[in-house]
Amino acid sequence: MTYKSCIAGLLLGTMLAGPTLAQDNMEKLSNMQKTDATFTFVDQDGDRAAALTNILEHINVPDGFEISLYAVVPDARSMSMAPQGTVLFAGTRKDKVWSIVDRDRNRVADEVKDFAPSVTFDIPNGPCFSPDGFLYIAERNRILVFPAAEFFFESPDIAVGAVVPQGELIPEEEESFNHSARVCDIGPDGKLYVSLGQPHNVQPVDKIALYDEIGIGGIIRMNTDGSEREVYTRGVRNSVGQDFNPATGELWWTDNQVDGMGDDIPPGELNRQTEAGQHFGFPWTNSRVEIVSESDAPRPEGVSFVEPQLELTAHAADLGMRFYHDSSYPEAYHGGIFWAQHGSWNRTEPVGARVMFTAIDPETGDAVGAEVFADGWLDEDTGEYRGRPMDIEFLPDGSMLVSDDFAGAIWRIAYVGMAAQ
Amino acid sequence: MRLVTITLLGGLMLAGGTPVVAGDPAAGRKIANMCRTCHGVDGFAAIPIAPHIGGEPKEYLEAQLMAFKTGARQHEMMSVVAGGLSAQQIADVSAWYANHRVVATLPQGVSAEQAPAACVSCHGADGISVLLDAPNLAGEVNIYIDTQLKAFRSGKRQHDIMSAISADLSNEEIRALAEWYANVGLEILPAE
Repeated sequence: MTYKSCIAGLLLGTMLAGPTLAQDNMEKLSNMQKTDATFTFVDQDGDRAAALTNILEHINVPDGFEISLYAVVPDARSMSMAPQGTVLFAGTRKDKVWSIVDRDRNRVADEVKDFAPSVTFDIPNGPCFSPDGFLYIAERNRILVFPAAEFFFESPDIAVGAVVPQGELIPEEEESFNHSARVCDIGPDGKLYVSLGQPHNVQPVDKIALYDEIGIGGIIRMNTDGSEREVYTRGVRNSVGQDFNPATGELWWTDNQVDGMGDDIPPGELNRQTEAGQHFGFPWTNSRVEIVSESDAPRPEGVSFVEPQLELTAHAADLGMRFYHDSSYPEAYHGGIFWAQHGSWNRTEPVGARVMFTAIDPETGDAVGAEVFADGWLDEDTGEYRGRPMDIEFLPDGSMLVSDDFAGAIWRIAYVGMAAQ
Repeated sequence: MRLVTITLLGGLMLAGGTPVVAGDPAAGRKIANMCRTCHGVDGFAAIPIAPHIGGEPKEYLEAQLMAFKTGARQHEMMSVVAGGLSAQQIADVSAWYANHRVVATLPQGVSAEQAPAACVSCHGADGISVLLDAPNLAGEVNIYIDTQLKAFRSGKRQHDIMSAISADLSNEEIRALAEWYANVGLEILPAE
C-alpha cells in the first residue's frame, strides 16, 4: 500500500463515520424530496443590533435624508428584492444566502434566516431575480435557479435547478477565493448576465487568450436555461456591480483596478456598455493608465478600448450599483446611479466606505460626475472601518438599502423631507 | 504507522526549514496596519477570504510571507503586500501576530475522536497546529480551507505533505474536512 492511498483510506473512513459529511442534497431537492436541513435564524434585537445602531451617529447623509438599521445580516453582500417586494435576499462570500423579511412593514426587518439550508452553497455572492420571480444565485463555479423563491423560501427544502452545473462556469483550475464574488442580472432581453472576475492582480500574459475566450475578466450572458452562453463584455478586471439602465436598456458596471502601482493610480471605473462584445481595455489599460505593454502582449485586433464614464478615487473599491427608478427621493436623483465604495484595503491612507451618486445627462446618456451621497463608515482619525458598504437595493417605497459585509448589517436611507423654513 | 512518517517528516522540515530571523513584535505591530483591514490587528480576520493569523507559529507566518515575496506562493493581494516587505519586516510582523494566544473550542456534542484522521497529526483535532510548519485551521471560513485544499490538489500550491494528502480527495471530501475545522470556535487573545 502506498503512502498516498493509505492516507486517503484513513481519511475517507473517518469522514464516513463522522457527523460532518456534507451531503449534497441537489439530487433530492430536484426530485422534490425532503432533507433534514433546518434554518439558522439571526437575532434582530440583541447586543449586535445595539452595537450596529451606535454606528449610525457617525454616518452623514444629505439634508432631508435619514439613515437607520434595517437588519442584522452577517457578511451581507449583493442583494436582490423579490418582485412582489415581500422578501429581500442577500448573498455572502461564505456559504449562506439570507432571506430578510419585514412582515409588519415598519421598515425594520423582523426575520432573517438562511435561504435553502438544504443546499451546500459555495460563495453564493450574487442573487438576482427575473421579473417573473425566478431567483438566480451566481456562485464561484455554478449558477442555481429557485423557481418562485419569494413564496417557497419559508421551507428549508425548496425546488432548485442548475443553470450552470458545478465546475462549468469556469475551468476548475482557475478557481480562487478572491475575485470570485459573482453578481448577476436579468437583462431586458431576458438573458442572464454574470460577471466573472479574473483571479489575479494582473493575469499572466499566457492566460490572456484563454480568459478572453471564456469571459474570465468579463461579463458573460446566456439564456436562463444556460444555453447560448457568450462573452458580452471584454477587458474587465473584476466587476462586482452591474445594472441595466431602465431608460435605455444599456448595461452599466463598476470595476476594481490594479494594486501595487501606488496610492493614487489607477482610478476606479464606472463603465457604460452600448453594444455586445465591447472591450474595456484590461489587462492593457485601466482607464488611461497602461498596465500590460503591447510588447509583452499584442492588443486584440479590430477593437478599440472603451473609456470609462467616470474615473473614481483609486483603490476605493467601487462595488454594487443600482439605477434609481423610484419616486420617493427628490427629482435630482431620478434616473441616476447609486453605488457602494467598499473602501481600500492597502492604501496608505484608507479611502472609500461610502455611498456614491452620479446623475445621468438626459441628452447624451452619459454620467455627469461622482459625488458622495453618504459616508462616515471610515473613522478618519484611526483609519479603521466601522462598516464597509457593498451593494445597493431599493425597497418598494423607494428608500435605499445598503448592505455592509464588514459590520454585518443592512442599512436603510430614506428621504423624510426638508424641515419647514 | 504511516502517521508516524508524517510526524517525522514534519520534524525534518522544521530542522531544515527557512532560516529564522529574530522578530520584534512591537515593530511588527506598526507593520500590521498594512494587514488589519483583512486580517485584523490581532489576527482575527475581518473578511472571509483572509485566514485568521493571530497566534499562528511565527515560523509558519514567516515562511508564507517569504513564499509570497519570492513568488513560490501566489495570491492576488498577498503577492503585492509581501513584495514590498524586507526580511526583517516579515520577521517583525510574523512575531507580532505569533505573539497572541489562541483558544479553540469544539462544537457541542462533538468529540476530538471524530476529527479527520489525516489532518490531526499536524493541525490538531481542534485546528490548533502542533507543528511550526503547519497553520492553525480552527474557525477558518470553510471556503478558505476548501480553496487551499483544491489549490494543493491542482498543484497551484505545493507542499510535500499537503500535495500528497489532497491529491485524491473529491470536492465533497474537501468540503467535509473544511466544515470540521470551520465549525471550531476560535478566540484570539493578547499574549500573557
